[in-house]
Amino acid sequence: MLKSYLKLAWKVLLRRKFFTFISLFGIAFTLVVLMLVSALLDHVVAGYPPETNHARTVGIQFASQRGETWRRNGFAGYGLLDKYARDLPNVRLMGVASMPEGVFSYFNGQRVKSFLKRTDGVFWQILDFQFLEGGPFTEADVRDHRFVAVINEATRQRFFGGQPAVGRTIEVDGQRFTVVGVVPDVPILRIVPFSDIWVPHTTAKSDSYTKEYVGNFIGILLLDDPGKLAMTRDEFWSRLRTIKLDDPGFQRVDATPETVFDTLGRLFTGDGTGEGTGYGRRLQIALLVAACLFMLLPAVNLINLNTSRIMERASEIGVRKAFGASSRTLVGQFVVENLVLTLVGALVGFVAAGLLLGLINASGVIQYAELSLNYRIFAWGVGLAVLFGLLSGVYPAWRMSRMHPVQALKGASR
Amino acid sequence: MSMIALSGIEKVYRTDRIETVALSGIDLTVGEGEFISIMGPSGCGKSTLLNVIGLLDAPSGGSVAIGGERVASYQDRVLARLRNREIGFVFQTFHLVSDLSVIDNVEIPLLYRKMAGGERRKLAAAALERVGLGSRMHHFPSQLSGGQQQRVAIARAIVGRPRILLADEPTGNLDSQMGDEIMALLKDLQARDKTTVVMVTHDARQAEQTERIVRLFDGRMVN
Repeated sequence: MLKSYLKLAWKVLLRRKFFTFISLFGIAFTLVVLMLVSALLDHVVAGYPPETNHARTVGIQFASQRGETWRRNGFAGYGLLDKYARDLPNVRLMGVASMPEGVFSYFNGQRVKSFLKRTDGVFWQILDFQFLEGGPFTEADVRDHRFVAVINEATRQRFFGGQPAVGRTIEVDGQRFTVVGVVPDVPILRIVPFSDIWVPHTTAKSDSYTKEYVGNFIGILLLDDPGKLAMTRDEFWSRLRTIKLDDPGFQRVDATPETVFDTLGRLFTGDGTGEGTGYGRRLQIALLVAACLFMLLPAVNLINLNTSRIMERASEIGVRKAFGASSRTLVGQFVVENLVLTLVGALVGFVAAGLLLGLINASGVIQYAELSLNYRIFAWGVGLAVLFGLLSGVYPAWRMSRMHPVQALKGASR
Repeated sequence: MSMIALSGIEKVYRTDRIETVALSGIDLTVGEGEFISIMGPSGCGKSTLLNVIGLLDAPSGGSVAIGGERVASYQDRVLARLRNREIGFVFQTFHLVSDLSVIDNVEIPLLYRKMAGGERRKLAAAALERVGLGSRMHHFPSQLSGGQQQRVAIARAIVGRPRILLADEPTGNLDSQMGDEIMALLKDLQARDKTTVVMVTHDARQAEQTERIVRLFDGRMVN
C-alpha cells in the first residue's frame, strides 16, 4: 500500500509542476533557515574537538553578586572558582580560563588584533587540542608565572608566515611570550576553547582578578558521572552559602555548574544571573516554539494550496471510498503524499543549506567557523520536515477524507 | 437467497427551508446472481437508489440487507469494509485515476485488503485479462478509448470478486457498439461468476437484456 501511495505521490508532484515548484520553494526555504539555525546551534553546543569530553564537561560561566539594592552579573571571578569550585564531588578535573579578550600586537609596522585567553594547566587536560607542533603549557608553567603561549594556526600564519613557531616569541599587549605549542583554529562560537593565543593566567598584569567573585573567568569541570551533576551542584551551592562578603552592599553570590546548552539557555531565556537551573529545557521549548511559529506561515500557505486541490482529486477520493477506503486510510494516504513533498523539499533545503554554510565559512563572518551539516542536523531537518509535513498535511487530508463519496463522485463528473 | 434486500427505504434531503423526497417506500429484493436494471426519467432517484444499495449513502429510513445481513451500522469503517468485500462499482464516467496506470487503477480495491503486493498484481492482471485488456496493463487511462476505459473500470470492480456489481449508466458515455460490448461483458460476469448485477440505465434496449426491470418515478417504484 505504501509503495502505491509513494508512486501516486510522485506522480501528483509531477502533474502540477508550478504548484510543486511553489510548494517545494516554500518548504525548502523554511527548512534552509531552520537548518542554518540548527547548524549554528550545533556548532555552539555539540562535542566537536577539542571538546571531545563534551558529554562529561560542565561549566561555571555566569555569576552574580547581589544585595538588597544592588546586583552585579557577569562571568565567574577567578577568586570564586579558586576558593569554592575546587575538589567538588564527582569532579575529576577543574580548569579555569578567562573569556577571550581582544589584544593588539605591533608587527612589521602594523597593528594586529588577536584574542587572548588566560588559562591554567588543567585547561589543556580537559580539552583535547591536537597540537600541530609543540605542546601545552603545564601547571608548573602557570605556578611559576612563565611567559609561555600556545597559539593557533592563524596566529602562526600572521606572525611567522606559517613557519614553525615553537621556541620563537610573540609580543602581545606589551608582554612577550615564548611559543610552546601550535593548535588548529577553533571557531569563535565555541566559547570555552576559543582564542588565538592562550597564556598562563598568572601572567596577567595585575593579580586583582584572583580576588574577584564576579569577573572574567569560567570554570570547566570534567565530571566522573554527568548523571550526578546535581550532587556537584548542590555541594557548590552549599559552599557559596558560606561566603561572607566584605562589601556590605552585597549579601550573596550565585553561580551554577551546568552544560553549555543550559548556559546558552540562561543567556537567552534567563535574567543573566548565576542562579537557578533548567534554562536548557526552557531554551529547548523556546526554540521548538520558534521553529513551529516560523513554519506556521508556509504551512498555512501549503494548507491553502492543498485544500484548494481537493476538488481536483474528488473523483479519486470518491472511487477510493467506493472501493473500501475508510476516511482514516485516506488521511494516511494524503499525509504520506504531503510528507513526500516535504521530504523532497527537505532534501533540496539540505543541499541549499550545505552550500550556504560553505559560503558563510568562506566569508569569515564567523571567525574560524567550520559550520557543517552532519547527521544531527540532518536528523533535525528531517524531523522538522516531518513536523512541517504533518502541520500542512493533516488538515487538508482530514477535509478530503470527510468528503461524502457521492458528492465526491458527483463533483468530479460536473 | 436474496443478495440485496431493501425494505421501506426512504431518502429525504433536508435543507433549512426545503425537504426533497428522493426515495419513498422502496421495497426491493434482488436474488443471488440476478441481473436487474433500474429505469426511470432523470431525477427520479435511480442513482440515489443505487447509492443506497452500494452503501455510499445512508437511507433516511428503512433497512438494507446485503448478502442476507442487515446493515446495522453506518459507521465509516464498517461501511468501507462491507463495500470492499461485497460490492463493485462501475460509473458512467469511469472515474479512473489518471495518474495511475491501468493495472494500478485495477489494484485499488485490493489496497484496502491485507494482501501482498505480488498477489495484488496477479489478481489485477487476471481481471484485466478477463475484460480483454491484458495487453494494456501499463498504459494510462488517457491512452485508451472510452470503451476500453470502461473495461478497465469493470476489471477494477470485479478484481476483489465482489458478489454484487452496481453499474450506474455504464454505457451512457459510449457509442452503441461499445455499449453492446460492455453489456455483453456484464452478462458474462453474471452468467459465469454468478455475480448479482444492478444496472441503472436510460437505454430501454439494454434494460430489456436484463432479467428484470425496476421502474422508478418520483422516488417510488412503479411496477
